[in-house]
Order: sequence, then structure tokens, then C-alpha cells
Amino acid sequence: MREDAFSKFHPAVNLIFFIGAMCFGVLLQHPVYLLAGMFASGVYYFLLNGRKGIKAIAGMIPLFIFITLFNPIVNTRGITVLFSLFGRPYTLEALIYGVAVAAIFVVMLLWFGCYGKVLTGDKFTCLFSNIMPSIALLLVMVFRMIPNFVRKAKQIIAARSSVGKGTEASASIKDKLTSGMSVIGVLTSWALEGSIVTGDSMRARGYGTAKRTSFMVYRMTKADWVLIVIMLAMLGVVIGFAASGCMYAEFLPERNIAPIEGVNIIAFITYLGFLLIPTFLHIKEVIQWNISRYGI
Amino acid sequence: MKKSNIAMLLVFLALIPLTLFLGEKLPGKGYYITGVLIIAELMLPFFMMFEKRRPQARELVVIAVMCTIAIIGRVAIPIPHFKAAYAVIMLTGIAFGPETGFIVGAITAFASNFFYGQGAYMPWQMMAYGAGGMLSGFVFLNNKVPRKPWIMAVFGFLSVILWIGPLLDTSHIFLMMPEINFSSVTASLASGFPVNVSQGVCTALMMFLLGKPLLEKLDRIKLKYGMMEDENGV
Repeated sequence: MREDAFSKFHPAVNLIFFIGAMCFGVLLQHPVYLLAGMFASGVYYFLLNGRKGIKAIAGMIPLFIFITLFNPIVNTRGITVLFSLFGRPYTLEALIYGVAVAAIFVVMLLWFGCYGKVLTGDKFTCLFSNIMPSIALLLVMVFRMIPNFVRKAKQIIAARSSVGKGTEASASIKDKLTSGMSVIGVLTSWALEGSIVTGDSMRARGYGTAKRTSFMVYRMTKADWVLIVIMLAMLGVVIGFAASGCMYAEFLPERNIAPIEGVNIIAFITYLGFLLIPTFLHIKEVIQWNISRYGI
Repeated sequence: MKKSNIAMLLVFLALIPLTLFLGEKLPGKGYYITGVLIIAELMLPFFMMFEKRRPQARELVVIAVMCTIAIIGRVAIPIPHFKAAYAVIMLTGIAFGPETGFIVGAITAFASNFFYGQGAYMPWQMMAYGAGGMLSGFVFLNNKVPRKPWIMAVFGFLSVILWIGPLLDTSHIFLMMPEINFSSVTASLASGFPVNVSQGVCTALMMFLLGKPLLEKLDRIKLKYGMMEDENGV
């Protein structure tokens, strides 16, 4: 898989972006800002996942509808009563608020999807190796062991089936369960003995005698610093405007949504611009790539 | 527990009311952020304690092994929706004590998110799994409660439906519910109950069948190599 342009930046840059995007994603319930969030997260999710991404986004629509319709059932405030359900009023305002809640939820799902693709395990451990060295090392070991243990578990299962102790898809649940327990037991014995060897080998090589240094693939470059400054400046502008109340929106019991006009348009454009940074970098890279290809 | 550790715990516990107070002022669904911060404040002291006692290489590797087994347990058992993680975490807590149980639970939740896809409920998962490992460590500490298969099975079932499951379900309150009030809390907890019961049955079965053999293996490792005997990890 080709890495996208934003993922090539330093993990700290990625983390700042996602913290900003997610915090504002849950804090702002102004419909226009929610639309901006849905648009930006949806586009970036699509760029990262391709066609599979569209399927995943389509799969979120039923969830969106469910949360929207569910909200007025638990929330009966609001002025305009549409009809009553189980003897409780089902109000228009609560329904509209349900749309906002569902939008926030979907935006969070999308941002978390992007986050998982961009901030992979190695980047995360790189970020935290200085603050929490033991935990970071633990994570690295777990990430390495997962594929290793899956392979070993499959070997154990194959070996068991070759001596007639295998479980086919048709086997009863009891057989599957007892066989699974044996596999886990064998896997644990093998892994624990191996772990002692690994641990002693680490100690023999001097683990714990001095401060551990980490292998770093990522180094802060000038471009990283520039992007961090730009992002922080944009976040500062958005926070400043948010404090002035121009992103305020209240749905219950009465709709009260701040209009977007005059200088407040700057706030909206800054917010949208911030969220579209990864998309912008991606498009820029594609254009550059094509220009240099035509140059040949 | 050392005095400095207790002091650290108190500092973090004092931060929680402050977070709640400031979080109240956040607009929109700001309570999601408040929730995540509080979970971080609850968990950070345990991670810092773990860092401070500079765990030995052997201990680290054994913890990593148990986390990995909890994560990939479902590969070994070809039954859909059968979760092996809870039982493995609890058994590790029983064998190695509450502190290690917490670390194994929290790391399992965290690492499995990289493996099975990130979700917004990740902090809640870390807290619930860690709390599960810790609870089992406390209950079975110093063999006060006998480690009989059926006792462990009952404990596994109860701790999933009364402790881990509800802790995990609180994430629905913060994520999907429009606001926090009595009816949204009960709705979240009630909607999670059937899933918790089925996971509880799975865990009880696992504890009954796997409990004794796995504990024997872990105890054997402890005895053979003299690991994790001192509370301070030597």
C-alpha cells in the first residue's frame, strides 16, 4: 500500500491533527460545522481506504438513522410535538437534535478510522518511547508476537488434526471448545518458555543497565515544524472564535443556532481548512506526481 | 504499596473533580472529552507505578506473552463471537497479582485496537479490561479464595456481568446518548446486558476448562524461574 502524504509526516504532527479534529468533532454541534466535519472526515477516510471506504461509510447510514430516531424516545423535551409514543411526546426538536448527535457519532467513527490508518503501532510507540519506555517496549513486543503466535497457533491446530484431533467446521461446540482450550494451553507453554529465553537474552545484552534508546524512523524536519505551527495557529483562531460564541447551537427545548455571517465566515473557513489539511496534502502530492510524470 | 505511589494516586484522584468541574463548562458533547480525561487520570498512576519500578526483562516478556494470547485467543477457538480475552486476563491477574493483571488488561485492550481497528470506545475498553484483571488479582490474592475451577467460573461470570460489562457499557452513555440522565444511563446498561450475559457464559466456560491448566503453567514458570515473587518486582 502506498502511504498517503499526511502519514509521512512526524507522528507528533499526526497526533496534534487528530486531537484537534476529534475534540472539535465532539464539541461543536452547530449543523454547518458538523457538515464540514462529515465532509472532511468522509473525504479523508475515502482517500485512505479507497473503495472499501465507501462501503464502510454506506454501512454507517443505518446507524445514523437509528441514533436519530432513537434520541426523541429517551429525550422528550422540545416544543413541537409530532406524535406520542408509549405515552411520551415525540418532538421535532429532539429529532433534529438526534441528527446532530448521530452526525457527531459518525464523524468520530470516521476520524477514528483515519487515526487507525495513519497512527500505526510503530508511530505510537515512537511517540511514547521517551515518556513510558517500559509500556512502549511492551507494545512493540505485543505487536511482534501477534503474527508470530497466530502462525504458531495454526501450526498447533494443523499438528493436532494430523493425529486425528482436529476440529472441522461440523464438529460440535463442545469439541471445538475443548480443542481450543488445548491449543491455547500448548501455545501458552511454548510461549512462556520462549519468553524466558527472550528475557534472559535481553538481560545478557544489558537491558535495564542504562537508559534505553529507541530506534527512530521519524525525525522532525522543517516541514513538520511548519505544519505544526500552521495547525496550532488555525486551532488558535478557531478556539478564539468559538469563545466568542459564533459556533453556538442549542436544539432543546428550542432551536437556537448562531448564524454564520460577517467575520464568522473566517472561523468556518479556518475550521474547514484545518480539517482538510490531510486531504490537501494528498491532492498536492498526486498533482506533483503527475506533473513530474508528464515531464519525463 | 510505597508512600510515593500513594501520594501519586492521591494527586490524580484530586484531578478528577477538577476535570469534572471544568468539563461541565464544555459545550456540545464535551462530556466525551471529560470522560476520556477521567479515564486517563484513573489509569495513568498505575502505568507510572509500573514504569517506576523498572520491570525486569523477563517480567516484561511474560506480560507481553499473556497480552498476545488474550488478543489472539479467538484464533484458537473456531466459534464465532467467543471471546477468550476476559478469561486470559483474569487468569493472569490471579496468577501474577492485581498490578500485573491491570497492566495485562489495559495493554490487551490497547493493542487489540491496533489489530482489530480503532474505535472511540478504546479508553473505556482499556479501563474495563484493566479493572477486570485487577479485580481478579485482588479476589484471589494470597489464596484467600481457593482456585477451584467452579469457583473461578462463577467469579468469571459475575465479574463480566457486574463489573467489566457495565464499565464497558458506560462508553455508550458518552458516545451514543444525547445527554446524560437517568433514563439514558439505564438504557445503555440494559442494552448491553444480553451481550454481557453471553460473554459471561463464555468466560465462565473458559475459566472452568482453562483455569486450572493455565494457572499450573503460570505457577510453574513462577516457581521455575522465581519471577514476580517480590511485590516490588525486584
